[in-house]
Amino acid sequence: MSRAVAIVGSGPSGCYLAQALLKADPQLRVDILDRLPVPYGLVRYGVAADHQGTKAVIRQFERLFERQGACFVGNVVVGEDVTLDELRQAYDAVVLAAGLSGDRALGIPGEHLEGVHRAGYLTRALYEHPDAEPLPQLGRHVVIMGNGNVAIDLLRLLAKTPGELAGSDLGPVPTDWLAGSGVETIDIIGRSPAADAKFDAVMIKELAKLEGVTIEVVGAGVSDDDEGAKKIAALDAIHGHKTGSRRVTFRFGLTPVRLEGKDGRVGEAVFQDANGGTMSLPCSAFITAIGFEAAAGLPRDELVGCAAELELGVLADGLYATGWFRRGPRGTIPDNRADAQLLAARILADLEASDTGLEKPGRHAFPQWTAAVCYDDWKRIDAAETASPPQDRCRVKIPSREAMLALARQTKEPDL
Amino acid sequence: MKIMLLYGTETGNAEMLAEDIMAELEGEHEVECRNLSDFGPAEFDARRLHMIVCSTYGDGELPASAQPFAEALKAAAPSLSDIHFAIFGLGDSEYEETFNFGSKGLAELLVSYGAVQVGERVTHDASGSDMAEDLAFPWAAGIVALAEQKIGEAV
Repeated sequence: MSRAVAIVGSGPSGCYLAQALLKADPQLRVDILDRLPVPYGLVRYGVAADHQGTKAVIRQFERLFERQGACFVGNVVVGEDVTLDELRQAYDAVVLAAGLSGDRALGIPGEHLEGVHRAGYLTRALYEHPDAEPLPQLGRHVVIMGNGNVAIDLLRLLAKTPGELAGSDLGPVPTDWLAGSGVETIDIIGRSPAADAKFDAVMIKELAKLEGVTIEVVGAGVSDDDEGAKKIAALDAIHGHKTGSRRVTFRFGLTPVRLEGKDGRVGEAVFQDANGGTMSLPCSAFITAIGFEAAAGLPRDELVGCAAELELGVLADGLYATGWFRRGPRGTIPDNRADAQLLAARILADLEASDTGLEKPGRHAFPQWTAAVCYDDWKRIDAAETASPPQDRCRVKIPSREAMLALARQTKEPDL
Repeated sequence: MKIMLLYGTETGNAEMLAEDIMAELEGEHEVECRNLSDFGPAEFDARRLHMIVCSTYGDGELPASAQPFAEALKAAAPSLSDIHFAIFGLGDSEYEETFNFGSKGLAELLVSYGAVQVGERVTHDASGSDMAEDLAFPWAAGIVALAEQKIGEAV
């Protein structure tokens, strides 16, 4: 008898979990559900378009579906097409690996002015997520609030010249948008001192390759701590980098106090420094990149709030969580791999202990999922995206759900 | 020949490549594949070829699964003068300053304890257009041919 596991979310944490489960027990039936018709979550829609090397993990995940027997069930929304309780009935174990796709709010006056944008909203638009909203006009002076890797990704993309995006999978609309943005200055603001910034030093070093900027680092300070010293050294190394006129300025230790505007549009950001002094920056766009939280859909707070053993990822009997959904919006792709390997061991032990001899139906309990997209369907979308990209792009993403589904269904018999 | 295939990995890419190399070689050779995190310096064997696949992570550092091995090696400081190894690196030229420093550092560390490197270190670039196995399979075949002479002479 083989046990059935449903994983909700096909991003890195869900795929790594399936990989670890199937490596340990190739007989398991593992279904990976996703609300989108396409797999891989933030590897596709969060890892920057110009970081294709980071996306190489997709080759592992392809193997998961092509050789390890995992089944992709795309275009199925838990909470709409199926309830969590129904899933738990049909599977021996259900794992929530849905990530955190909501942008955290800053919580200061003026946050709702026009011209204030949240990072997830912008990256979804840049990376052509089917639910993205149109890219906004940024104007000449951009302030990015936040010092995580997402903030640095946005900074780098906004700072790049069109030629520097060669080899990426940035689509034609975002490419034109960046090329015509007219951004003259980018100020990137950290609430903490540079030594405590959340970005990785290597992300800062990478900025030394930028071809059209003048970089200034204000007040990086010093640090006794190894990690802090690394970050400061990386910042010191790019300070004064001058290859063009677009000005990039790093500032630290500034707490945003309020945003001010005229006619409903942001025009100035006001900060408080460590000594209680006030400073302000003119801005035509204010981008917050201060972390993520649960989006509407699964009741994460409730589920995580009454988790049996949250540290291990056990929410309740037969219900688990991994990745950002479990531990919050911290950590990179390999952190999710480590998380998944630990949880896989626990799930396998629980399955062993709970063997009732009754075979659960898994996805076969849901004949109503007629619009589900399987892995072969996705491969048709994938093939269309990579068939003939422009010379300096590795892929052209299909941006709309309708177009994805049309390709997915191209050779499908009705009611198969 | 007897081959100990070792991998140091952070995202799993080096592990996958090591498994592919194993599948490629095991028809003709006796291959054991292990994570460096499960391998101790005392397990080096003069009668085997040690083939290592190692990535790079962060700021040119060793990947997580190779770090305990490197620490144990430094602590034991063994003489590895009768040990043969070859190494294949995985990296990303997007981070050009530290490109493939993981495999480079690990090779240097082994050589510093006297280990004999067989063949050249070959590296793959995740931002390039080659598939890792397209570089690694010919590398592995070449290394095995070289090592068959060398290890034959040594034992």
